[in-house]
Amino acid sequence: MSDEMDAFVAEAREFLEANATRRDVPSTEVEWGRGEDRITYFGDDPPEVDARKVAAAREWQRRRYDAGFGWITGPPQYGGRGLPNVADLVYDALEAEYDVPDTSVLSLIGLGMIGPTILAHGQEPVKDRYLPAMYRGEVIACQLFSEPAAGSDLASLETTAVRDGDEWVITGQKVWTSIAHHAQIGMALCRTAPDKPKHKGITAFIVDMSAPGVDVRPLRQMSGGAEFNEVFLDEVRVPDDHRLGEVDGGWRVALTTLMNERASVGGEGAGPAARAVSPPFLTAVLKAHGRLGDAAARRRLAELAADQIATEYLNLQAVRRLRAGAQPGPEASVSKLMYAQNLTRGAHFAAEIAGPRLIADTGEWGTFSWNELLLSTPALRILGGTEEIMKNILAERVLGLPKEPGIDSTTPFRELRRSGQGRAGGKA
Amino acid sequence: MSETTTTAELAELRTAVRDFLSAKSGEEQVRQVMESERGYDEAVWAQMAEQLGLQALALPAEHGGDGYGFVELAVVLEEMGRALLPSPFLSTIVLAGSALVAAGDAGAQAAHLPGIATGKTTATLAVAEADGAWDTASLATTAIRGDKGWTLRGEKCFVLDGATADLILVVARTDEGPTLFSVGGDAPGLTRTPLRTLDATRRLARLDLADVPAVAVGEPGAAAVVVDRVLDLAMTALAAEQVGGAKACLEASASYARERVQFGRPIGSFQAVKHQCADMLVRLQLADAAAREAADAVAGVDGAPDPGVAAAVAHVVCSEAYMFVAAENIQVHGGIGFTWEHPAHLYYRRAKSSQLLFGGPAVYYERLLSRMGV
Repeated sequence: MSDEMDAFVAEAREFLEANATRRDVPSTEVEWGRGEDRITYFGDDPPEVDARKVAAAREWQRRRYDAGFGWITGPPQYGGRGLPNVADLVYDALEAEYDVPDTSVLSLIGLGMIGPTILAHGQEPVKDRYLPAMYRGEVIACQLFSEPAAGSDLASLETTAVRDGDEWVITGQKVWTSIAHHAQIGMALCRTAPDKPKHKGITAFIVDMSAPGVDVRPLRQMSGGAEFNEVFLDEVRVPDDHRLGEVDGGWRVALTTLMNERASVGGEGAGPAARAVSPPFLTAVLKAHGRLGDAAARRRLAELAADQIATEYLNLQAVRRLRAGAQPGPEASVSKLMYAQNLTRGAHFAAEIAGPRLIADTGEWGTFSWNELLLSTPALRILGGTEEIMKNILAERVLGLPKEPGIDSTTPFRELRRSGQGRAGGKA
Repeated sequence: MSETTTTAELAELRTAVRDFLSAKSGEEQVRQVMESERGYDEAVWAQMAEQLGLQALALPAEHGGDGYGFVELAVVLEEMGRALLPSPFLSTIVLAGSALVAAGDAGAQAAHLPGIATGKTTATLAVAEADGAWDTASLATTAIRGDKGWTLRGEKCFVLDGATADLILVVARTDEGPTLFSVGGDAPGLTRTPLRTLDATRRLARLDLADVPAVAVGEPGAAAVVVDRVLDLAMTALAAEQVGGAKACLEASASYARERVQFGRPIGSFQAVKHQCADMLVRLQLADAAAREAADAVAGVDGAPDPGVAAAVAHVVCSEAYMFVAAENIQVHGGIGFTWEHPAHLYYRRAKSSQLLFGGPAVYYERLLSRMGV
């Protein structure tokens, strides 16, 4: 390790010691029967608890940023520190030793996906105005991509942006918009040339979520909470300098975001849900229910453990390659598929062990509480690109298999058959 | 200990081995050799040593080896698995070579390792008996100490390349506990019976030992530790081979799916076929990661996980992945994949024989749990 890196580590350590408490127990260790009896993926906190967590996330991000750890790899002209990726990974590893507020409301979408997109495709006024504010925790960003009639086929989106002098006027409906209710800005994909084929008539914009005409309505999930939303855009005016990339060049911009999304979802290996289905935790589940001698349960545990540990190895190796300066490869898609599968199978395994105590709350620790995760796992196979789309991507980009033949990439968008056509408010 | 080898050097090694094997062990040669009595091509074995030094690669430098480790060896094994090379490499280098190193008997090392390193000697390790278990606690084969030294009595089964090996390391029971012995392939009292095998590219034999003279290797009673270490290395080596074989299957499937036309389109454009190939890729990537991590772990690379866990994980994940990919490969090919002429069945056979070589699912899931402390 270089002297510079040693100095960086010492500085990060000093910041963390002064601003956070070190964890008593390493985060991988299991404490069965202790602590809050909750296993969450999506939260279903009441709004006041949710608001408090968001405020804590913003405050921690501000402190990180002011100390030089908020945007370690970012360019200095926009408030970044200009260090290589490895410094980021080193800081994350150090911070994991401390109890700090969960900042995923900022990092997962805003800093993980939209920040890099603005940096790559934004005009100067947008970069100057939003990048430092995002990385300082002041601005939360959401992703205005999916629509009722444009899910997996995102490029068939219908929200329009029409030019009016130095401004654009945006009208349409977005859906599945996570954290829109906390967001100050959104990255919107809009149809700007309906006479061109679908991929060639889209433009990307940064929209001020407090602008007149933006209406955010919460959407309740099957797991009970409401972390995502419908967003209605009614003649929302956006200055042209808030456009990302070229006019009609929005698909390329969107690909930058989506690439970062897959890396972001698959990389959640250390999250609380993944910990709940980790081999030590599932072993503790078996033990607590007196099933450690059950051959069928042991076999299932071993199968789950092998896949999970191998997925960990896959992620570790991806991190090592990133440290060595490589770009994220197809392993991000593999990692995302495995993450969904591991979490789903782990949750069902724990449910099976809990038995009837899963379907009725007997008050016993670590039984009924699995429901939250169990009810969240179906989303993992859909969000950030459905499994079916991920498999198409792997087969086409990695294995070179031909695309499904179709007319949809050459025909003008307005001539294509679309879901819900001719009806108001079609379904996805 | 492994020296530091750069990514570029590993890639160079891979290219050299792949070029060699595509010239010497193409499908036609594999088919010829697998029909032969000996089960491997002695000329290719000699060339592997002379031209590429593969046998010496990971053996200790003080005994004629090059002193590299499992990270480098894994590259070689992956290519051998890809080419389905019929060869006593796994038995000689990984089983016997590692057992000699792990036993730490300087005399035995000096006697046998130089011959192995030059490709002159082939060798194997005989642990399993009639039940096929790699378990040193329940051995029936016994060693008796007499005036002229040790003699072995019993029966060993599923011995990899046991009918052809020049040197056989045998684990037998003594009063002190399980002990490692060396036996000459032509020793008096030794009857070697080649067994019919599912996978003709991987030969197994039964050994009947009727008072066979033997030399103890290492301290009497010390073989359990040796076998544990060898098993970790063997599972790791096998994992690399399995990944190589699975890669060959997936490449064959993807290539066929791109070219085979039905209903007026390449079949790979149908999502049913496309997703089947993507599922194969996912399992393969996972297996590849597990095999690499295990190689790092047994080689003692900085920051690598516990070798016992990593090797057990790799053995489970790579065994399952290879079997899955080899079976799906036949499905993607349809009828042609079920013919004798098509190589798909050779991989299918190798996948199954590798999965079951050290006990199979009945053993490897429990082994993983025990390595995890469950």
